[in-house]
Amino acid sequence: MIRIEDLSVAFGDTEAVKNVTLEIADGEILGVVGESGSGKSVTALTLMGLVSEEAQITSGKISMDDVVLLEAGKKRDKALYQSYQGDRMSMVFQEPMTSLNPTQKVGPQVEEMLRLHMDEWRNVDDASGRAEGVREQMRSKVLDMFAAVGLREAEKVYDSYPHQLSGGMRQRAMIAMAVILNPDLIVCDEPTTALDVTIQNQIIALLKEINEKQKNSMLFITHDLNLAKRICHRVAVMKDGRVVEMGPAEEIFRHPREAYTRQLIEAVPSRMKRHGRKGDSASGNVLEVQDLSVFYRDGGNSLFSRNRKQCVVSHATFDIRVGEVLGLVGESGCGKTSLSKAILGMNRDIEGDVVHHSIRPQMIFQDPYSSLNPTKTIGWLLQEPLRAMGRRNASQAMTKADMEAAAHDMLRKVGMEEKYFDRKPSQLSGGQRQRVSIGQALITGPGLVIADEPVSALDVTMQAQIMELMLALQEEMKLSYLFISHDINVIYQMSDRIMVMKEGQIIESGDTEEIFRHPKEDYTKLLLAES
Amino acid sequence: MKTNGKWNKYLIAGLVMTIIAVGIALLGAFWTPYSTTAMSAAEKFCAPSLSHLFGTDNFGRDIFSRVMRGVGTTILISGLVVLISGIMGILIGALTGYFGGLLDEAVMRLTDAVNGFPSILLALVIISILGSGRQNVIISLGIVFVPSFIRIVRSEFIRLRDADYIARARMMGVGRGRILFVHILPNIFSTFWVSVMIGFNNAILAESGMSYLGIGVQPPDASLGNMLSDAQGYLALAPWYALAPGLTIVWIVLGFSLFSEGIRRLQG
Repeated sequence: MIRIEDLSVAFGDTEAVKNVTLEIADGEILGVVGESGSGKSVTALTLMGLVSEEAQITSGKISMDDVVLLEAGKKRDKALYQSYQGDRMSMVFQEPMTSLNPTQKVGPQVEEMLRLHMDEWRNVDDASGRAEGVREQMRSKVLDMFAAVGLREAEKVYDSYPHQLSGGMRQRAMIAMAVILNPDLIVCDEPTTALDVTIQNQIIALLKEINEKQKNSMLFITHDLNLAKRICHRVAVMKDGRVVEMGPAEEIFRHPREAYTRQLIEAVPSRMKRHGRKGDSASGNVLEVQDLSVFYRDGGNSLFSRNRKQCVVSHATFDIRVGEVLGLVGESGCGKTSLSKAILGMNRDIEGDVVHHSIRPQMIFQDPYSSLNPTKTIGWLLQEPLRAMGRRNASQAMTKADMEAAAHDMLRKVGMEEKYFDRKPSQLSGGQRQRVSIGQALITGPGLVIADEPVSALDVTMQAQIMELMLALQEEMKLSYLFISHDINVIYQMSDRIMVMKEGQIIESGDTEEIFRHPKEDYTKLLLAES
Repeated sequence: MKTNGKWNKYLIAGLVMTIIAVGIALLGAFWTPYSTTAMSAAEKFCAPSLSHLFGTDNFGRDIFSRVMRGVGTTILISGLVVLISGIMGILIGALTGYFGGLLDEAVMRLTDAVNGFPSILLALVIISILGSGRQNVIISLGIVFVPSFIRIVRSEFIRLRDADYIARARMMGVGRGRILFVHILPNIFSTFWVSVMIGFNNAILAESGMSYLGIGVQPPDASLGNMLSDAQGYLALAPWYALAPGLTIVWIVLGFSLFSEGIRRLQG
């Protein structure tokens, strides 16, 4: 039984966690749900004794089976924590690439857990110490564990470096490392966020299975309510460092008491709501793509290296009608982004035809932090497309005052206050930056906008707002979108028609409703079933 | 420029030392306690005293006055060297970094070749072609310092040319020149500034070194380097003669190093 009582953690003057009380019973999975900055990760790191030295425990205590691990006002007992870490409590991190050592093979890394806690797992009989026997024993235990977490070819994985494994395999290896000593508590900090949906579901199933088999407690941290609902017994909702609501998962979802919880649940993209509009097919196409293949060259930039040509998109044929949202769904690496870049002429290594019926289509990127020039003000950024337009074509040149007025107008349209006009991107939140990005893309009135995962880097509530904004502007400005996402629910909510992409090929396309009701391809069915 | 807004010890110490050095140089350009060239047989090798703060040299010239003038010469030459090589570095680095390809490859091999020689040696070669003197020191050191700036600027442009916001600028139809110098250039300023600081320090040392070897600033003009060179013959007789310009070089270089370190920390 793990008990966090009245815990407050502060970094300098800012309190990240405020009076949080959580209990995790034996064998229970407790979910902590919240948006970024809600204090969920700090809570988990404090529980694990991994929070940075700067953090001050201003109130409360953490205890495990009545042993107090941490208490406000007392120095952190590192030796005590070390005897608990790994052995009785372990952690699975979000990013499997950075949490495994890239210079060591995966097997020995997992084995190190055993080596560090040898006394606890080794049979007393063997302790007399035939070194070779022990090594064999450790190796076979790791291999068994690999098999148990669903790593086929365990032997091969054992001798692989982290970069030779896929994201899903790395996360399985991480989980193997976390559970090999059968700890009482496993803390999972967004363990599936960096993974594709289909892999995500496998990992969730695995964690559930481990929980049922080993009967350990889990603290499952996520920003994704759907995920929490699927795996957790109980859920705590955190906001601004506080637990605002806690209860059995089912109940929280059916009868949320707090307004914030309701807001979170409503913000989750789902198939319940949809903006049903039809593109006006009579007014023609804004884009036609005929038999488009896109290639990628390895090391093409260097003088003497040999080019390897790889086909990342093969024979794509589709068109986008005026005023329509075409959704493109697929997992990472399936060629979605390559396709969109080829359409915009950013990748010239292509075969096939792309015919634009709009002038200068624009693109909105996923990462709001890298898509605005950090040295410019918001006002400057919004006017730059107009300046560029005027410079290319003198007849479209606008006066300074007109451009400024247009920028102010656009700022209002994307739902931002006047005061942001003179600010720099670094003073804006992720959602605000994405609004400015949208404004920048739309200010010249391009017929077509390609949005590449525009909401994937945002919190759910922000996600919902940005999607709403994009749809409202689409209607107002008669735009067409090519909307790209890995999240089929987001696609459903946004799109009139859908294309499903897998391994560089468009395997299915059609009306949104039609695809959701009667998917033809197995892969589409899989995507639908797992979201 | 992004800063964490906190003044630090490095910045304050560096700034104070640099302001003193620059202040003395500026003052020295217009006024010195004694003439820098007036000789006096009666006052040869005077030890430091109230009337001659740093003593006098083998011709009876006031060393303090000559240091004041020398600091100005040294800072002016180093400043011009960094200015010339910095601008060249930005132009060449921006073009090769952004466009890449054969031009980039050729320029990089050329800079490798230049880097292959010790910088003083290369400057010597250029001087021996152009002849000695203030102007030629600036030109030769300018050429020698360009590669380091090219490398810094080039790597920053390579990093930023694929940034999302640059891709978007391209999509808006912003012209190439404008992307290079309006969209990308301000973003490399903080990195570039640090390398300018380091380059300035190296230029001071290089100029002093060249003057010491007798191929830089020619007598009777004062420069810290040629003063050191003159002083070495009288090291036992008049140690203050060597100490004054030597410690002044240390003062300027240390001040600038601290200042640039302070700036680096200020940027977080």
